[in-house]
Formats: sequence, C-alpha cells, structure tokens
Amino acid sequence: MHRPIRTLVSILAVAIEVGMVMLVVGMTHGMLHENAKRVEGVGADIIVQPPGASFFFALTQAPMPVQVGDRLGEIPHVLAVAPVLFLFNAQGGIDLIYGIDMTSFNRVSGGFVYLHGGPFSGPYSILVDDWYAKAHGVKIGTTLTFLNHSFHVAGIVMHGKGARLFIPLQTAQDLTGARDKASIFFVKCTDPGYTKDVMAGIHDLLPKHQILSIKEYMSLMTSNDLPALTAFITAMIGVAVAIGFLVIFLSMYTTITERTREIGILKALGAGKGYIIQVILWEASLLSILGVIAGYFGTWLAKKFIIATFPTLTVELTLHWALWAGLLAVAGSLLGAFYPAVRAARLDPVDSLAYE
Amino acid sequence: MLLGSILLTTAAGETQPKHRTGGMEPIIATENLRKIYRVGKVDVAALRGVDMAVQEGEFVAVVGPSGCGKSTLLHILGGLTPPTSGKVLVDGNDFSYMKDAQRTKFRRHKIGFVFQRYNLLPTLTAGDNITIAQHIQGDGFNPHRFETVTEMLGIKDKLRHKPYALSGGEQQRVAIARAVICEPKLLLADEPTGNLDSENSQIVLNMMRALNRDFRQTILMITHDSEAASAADRIIRMRDGRIILD
Repeated sequence: MHRPIRTLVSILAVAIEVGMVMLVVGMTHGMLHENAKRVEGVGADIIVQPPGASFFFALTQAPMPVQVGDRLGEIPHVLAVAPVLFLFNAQGGIDLIYGIDMTSFNRVSGGFVYLHGGPFSGPYSILVDDWYAKAHGVKIGTTLTFLNHSFHVAGIVMHGKGARLFIPLQTAQDLTGARDKASIFFVKCTDPGYTKDVMAGIHDLLPKHQILSIKEYMSLMTSNDLPALTAFITAMIGVAVAIGFLVIFLSMYTTITERTREIGILKALGAGKGYIIQVILWEASLLSILGVIAGYFGTWLAKKFIIATFPTLTVELTLHWALWAGLLAVAGSLLGAFYPAVRAARLDPVDSLAYE
Repeated sequence: MLLGSILLTTAAGETQPKHRTGGMEPIIATENLRKIYRVGKVDVAALRGVDMAVQEGEFVAVVGPSGCGKSTLLHILGGLTPPTSGKVLVDGNDFSYMKDAQRTKFRRHKIGFVFQRYNLLPTLTAGDNITIAQHIQGDGFNPHRFETVTEMLGIKDKLRHKPYALSGGEQQRVAIARAVICEPKLLLADEPTGNLDSENSQIVLNMMRALNRDFRQTILMITHDSEAASAADRIIRMRDGRIILD
C-alpha cells in the first residue's frame, strides 16, 4: 500500500472488472426485460408467428398473409387480432418499428395514451413513445427519416406498447414490398382464462406456426434462451475477469520484486511459506474488496450517466449479479496474486536479505 | 571430535543429547562445518570445516576480515541456509538434517536476528516492527515483555514513529527489541554497529551487554570492529573459512 499510484491502479482495475460485469449483464438483461415488458404491454394474450420465427422480433421476417388474421378472429373467444409488420431500421441507430393497423391494434391494446398530438394523420406519419421523444428531442411536427423516407411525427404516446415507433401497416408493407403481409399477430381473448382454448384453436388452424401465450413469451425472454447472448455475456465476463486478474498479477508481482528484502526480513523472523502467502493474499483481498466497493459505486454512477444520456436504454442492476461480480473480482484477484505469493514464499532468505 | 561426545544424531535427523563430561551442553556446537556456494560454474568454499561450541549465556564475538565466512556461519547458525556438510547443533537440534520448514519453525521460536542495516519493515511503526515478531511466533502479544524490553532499550517514546523518522541508533535498538521480544535462546547479531557512529555503537553494545548480563541472553555477534568485539566475553577469530583463534 506504500505505492499509492500502483494501489490506485489495482483498485481501479478491479472496479472496472466489477463495473463491466454488472453493466454488461445489467444492460443485456435490462434491455431484454424492458423489451418483453413492452410486448406484454400491447395487451394481447397470445402471439402468433410464422414457422421458425425468432421470439426476438427484430430478427423476424414477414411471411404471413394479413388475411390469416381474419381466420384467427373467427376462433371462439377471440376478442381482437392485430397484425403487425416489423421493420428494422439501422439508419442513425437501431430501431424496431411496428407497422400497425390502428383500429385492430387499439382493440387489442386498449388504445394509445397520447401525451402530445394524436393518431396517424397520413401514410407517412409516425407515432413515437415518450422515451424515444426525450432521447432524440422529438416534438410534434418533427420529421424523422427511416428507410430512406421522411415521416412526420403525429403523436407522442406513453411508452410500453410494444415498440417505440409506429407507422401505418399499409406504409410498412409498401416500404418492405411485403404487400398484405404481417410478421406477427397479437391475439386478445375475450377473457384470459380462454388462452389455452384459443391457442388450441389456432394450432388446429395453423399447425406449423409458432403460437405462444404472452406468459410463455415472457419466460423465454431471458439471456438463457438466447445462446448467442449467453455467449456474449460469458465472453465479456471473461474479459473483465482477465483484466482484474492480469492487473493484480502484475501489481503483486512487482510488489514482490520490490519488497524482496522485506520478505527476507519476515523469513529471518521465522515467517513460514504459509505466512508469506497469507500476507500477500490478504493484501490482494484488501485491494480487490476496495476495488469491488469502488466498482459498485462506479456502476451506480455509470447507470445514472447511461440513462441520462440514452433514455431508451435500460440498465437492470441486481443484488444477485452484484454479488457475483464481487465474488468473481475477489476470486480473480486472489488467483492473480497466488503465483507471486508462492514465488515470494520460495525466495531464499539470505538472497532476499542481500537484495538491494 | 567435539560433537561425538555431546550427542548422537539419528539418520532421521532427530538429535538425542548425549552426556558431556565437564559441564552443561553448549547451545551452539558445530563439527567440521562446511559451506560451498556455487557461483556460476565455480564452487566457492565459504566455510572449510568449522568446529566451535558456545555455552548458554555466553556473549561471543566472531571477528575476521571480509569474506572470511563469518556471515555464512551466522546464516547457518540462524537456520537461514543449510550447511553443505558437517554438523551444526543449536539448542540440541541438528540443522544438517532439518528441512527448510523445520529450520524456519525453529528460528521463529529460538533465534533472534540483528542486522547491520537494521532491516526494519519501512511501512510499520517501531512498535509494530517489534510486535510483528510476536505475531509471527503466534503466541500473541505479551504486554509485560514488550514493556520490559522497550523500557530497557529506551525506545518507549519512539514506538509510534516509522523507521525513517528514527536515527540509526534508535532503529538498531528497535531491531534489538524485535530480536529479543520473543525471548529467543540465541541472539545472532550481524555487524550490529557497522552503520553507527561511535556514540551509538557504544549505546547498542551496552544494551547487548545488558541483555546478556540481565537476561542471560546468549549472543553471537559477528563484526570486523575489534572495539565492538571487545564488548564480548569471548572472541573467535576466523580467516579463509576456518577458526584460527578462539
């Protein structure tokens, strides 16, 4: 601890490790959960997707004829069916746009809550939710460009109805060349208790299609069900732990070299290998615990910053992952300090005492 | 053979005291003690057959020119390094057969070191430098012993100071306190006055003499300073890895 800069760098490295783990997991889980909540907020009881479609909507194409919706509407206990066409915009950001038929979407969702403006005023008008409006400084009348077309903002609605951006279904179909097609059908039952019956009815009608109750969909929206995401999180955690491990390793290694004489003194006093290892691991633990505390504080600050800068992002910090991040940081640090500690314990006392 | 009449060493390394005629057993006894260092591809003999015995309660000075092997002798007697051959018995334990961990444990409980360069831990206060020896020994803090030693060495008002804030003489007194706090059987001093002016040298020597007189502390001090050596009861002279005068 008598090298303040080195100590600070070690603490900072552990803090970055903790922050990386918590933010990567927090943002991934946060975005997933927030996305799932928005889909739940549409108000449907069942979602119907084409065979082999991903429950990650942005990856879904649009091969279902809209007319299928009329057949779904004939199934007993179905109150409303809303066809939606997904558009994935990567221009100036990454946005999922819902192409909606306002009448059927309102029947399923109970209608938008307009904070400003009103419904679509033409084929190239658009509704944005309040988070998107805040993040991009959008007001009524603002022109937004998506898919090489300009859209006039007609209304700002309360967030939580599936997407953050909505355009008329017809326009979405024209833009993508998917005439009379939909990516998904949101189905609302006359009573949620009929969900299973309605699902059975849909299955009879469309045996190869993907039919999920909204509860099933919500349970699928975890990183465990998205292998690529799990791999990404694991890789990021690995990188974070490696950073902590390497910095602590280097820090303790240089400490040992620098304090060779002090280790010789301890040995002359009768300190055994176990004592020397214990002292070094204790110091590494102390550094990592301080790093973990700094990491928690830094993560909290980073979350504030991220949300203030990017209001559409969600960072979900949980105690579970905070504990995991702390545990990984301490374990990584101890592992990083272990070799230097063993090396110190093996130093020859006479050579150590003669070290300049 | 000196040791032959003193003890019997088993093949397993356990030493069994044997009767010795004409007095008690020595606390230090060496027989044909040799130490060869390998420097590159060359063998350098630091000790070429040292036979010596030191009785408990003695204050012995080992003198000789640089490179005569006195530091090597001290390191072997302190269990810091094993001999190449020969026997070395400290308080009845033969270091020749002991493993590093066994010698470390023995050193922890039975030996105190004082070095020329004081060798205090720079990040600890004087008080902590003394108590760390008790911590390593594992018997816990003994306030009475601490009080007695720090009082005797005149460092009670310096205990909160870090080493860099102490004079050389004060640092060496703290080092002596650390060496004797655990009541070692043997105090090994490696040129304890080598870095001190004559006034502080005299203070340190007086204190070592007092330790020897008042606590019957066995002291083996190596020095090349004949004035320092004169503080001891007995002087052993070494040259070229051998004892030439006792």
